[in-house]
Amino acid sequence: MKLRAAAALVPLSLALALLGAAPSAAAQRTGWIRWGNWSPSAPNFDIYLNSFGGSGGPTVIRHVRYGHVSAYMTLPTGQYTIAMRDAGAAATTPPTLSASVQVAAGTAYTIVSMGPASHLGVQVLKETMMSSPGKALVRVVQESVQQHRVSVTAGSRKLGGPLLLGAYTSFLAVSPGWLAIHAAGISTNTTTHVFLPANTIHTLVVLDKPGRQGDLRIHTLQDAVGSKTMPAGGAATGFGGTAPVRAPSPVPWAAVIAGGLLCCAAAGYWLRRVRHQARHAR
Amino acid sequence: MGRDRRGSHARHRLPTEWQSRRAGPARGFRGLARRPVAAALLCAGLLIAGGGTAGLMLLRGHPGTSPRPVAHPGRPPAEAVAALPRPAGSSKVARPVSLSIPAIEVHTRLIRLGLTAQDTLQVPASTSVAGWYAGSPRPGQIGSAIIAGHIDSYRGPGVFFRLRLLRPGDRIYIRRADGTPAVFRVYAERMYAKDRFPTQQVYGPAPDPELRLITCGGTFDPATGSYLSNVVVYAAQIR
Repeated sequence: MKLRAAAALVPLSLALALLGAAPSAAAQRTGWIRWGNWSPSAPNFDIYLNSFGGSGGPTVIRHVRYGHVSAYMTLPTGQYTIAMRDAGAAATTPPTLSASVQVAAGTAYTIVSMGPASHLGVQVLKETMMSSPGKALVRVVQESVQQHRVSVTAGSRKLGGPLLLGAYTSFLAVSPGWLAIHAAGISTNTTTHVFLPANTIHTLVVLDKPGRQGDLRIHTLQDAVGSKTMPAGGAATGFGGTAPVRAPSPVPWAAVIAGGLLCCAAAGYWLRRVRHQARHAR
Repeated sequence: MGRDRRGSHARHRLPTEWQSRRAGPARGFRGLARRPVAAALLCAGLLIAGGGTAGLMLLRGHPGTSPRPVAHPGRPPAEAVAALPRPAGSSKVARPVSLSIPAIEVHTRLIRLGLTAQDTLQVPASTSVAGWYAGSPRPGQIGSAIIAGHIDSYRGPGVFFRLRLLRPGDRIYIRRADGTPAVFRVYAERMYAKDRFPTQQVYGPAPDPELRLITCGGTFDPATGSYLSNVVVYAAQIR
């Protein structure tokens, strides 16, 4: 179990970069990071975010409690280091946890502390931005240190499991609406109802219930939101009043003129001929 | 020359009425009058040739109107700047009611848009207002709020005529029904052929509050009466 957890830990960042580009990557040079604390026995953390080789001081988020995840922060693409120190510790002290992440364009990451106090680690999760039209996408992350194996279902559908500490599922398409999410550990289970609208992406995190030995709770994180119904194709937003108009070909009109002249010529010839005949007939 | 002789022959056949007409001054038309078919042919030929000439002279294109940058972009709405920042992604966000883009002198109210029977994005009936697609997140909520406006009408520029002049860094101001403002910063401007429109990228999920402004662009196809491309401006909320 520890092996599986360890495999999910620290410098995942480089491998994550290979998992495919987000759809909006073509349009932007920024990505997103959010961070949190999923290690139940650890103290609150101060989280420092440093741009690798960048100028200026770190971004600091103070007193991040167990179970809390920040909103996304938009960052220029590049290499970042995350350092977590016990809340209130001086910025000069060695960090309790650290990790580095390569932020790719149009890609979002969740960086969290995890594991029991004796085996603290940092986990880097990469989100998807590709929705499944008309469906909700959901992923399950198992972060309970009390329950070693957790299986998660949505209604009658199995989402994943048994999942070990730090293991997570891929994004699964589910029917939008209210879902009864059931997480079953070895000795306990819990159910929570979540509303997942169409064209949204969520991460469900299985955590320990604070203060209750062995109990589970499910924390719902919204990763991304799209339009309820995705319009088909582009928009018909123009009538052409400012568009250049190429002059149509003059050939048809020239043909009309030629036809008219031909008629005149024919009439003239006919008249001449008739007069001529009349003269000869005499 | 042969007029008297011919006339004497004719006198035997023609009624007196004709004799008096024939003696008139319009001698050149006499032949025409006697050959009505030829006369009609000549008239028709002249008419057709004249019509053709007129048509040829009326033929002309025009070079099209290109948007010019605004010489002195207006100031942003004062209230928008003075307002306190609001937490991004708050679920209690009022619907958008107006849009200001000082860099291209756009100031318009926002109407509500839905989908057409073909499931494409509905567009405003008026070319002078923009609209917000009510199926997309409200500006300031997590996700991409979709706003569409016309580049032009049949006669001239529409509300988003200058949209393609927006550049990264330009600000977009939205006012909502409860009076709260939201400020967005342009980060990209793209043109896509309508037959290869990236719906996921434009309408798909986003992890932060964003805007997508959509209008037409590229070549106008007179046969279908529509532009072949769409211009999309991407912006992310900064306040």
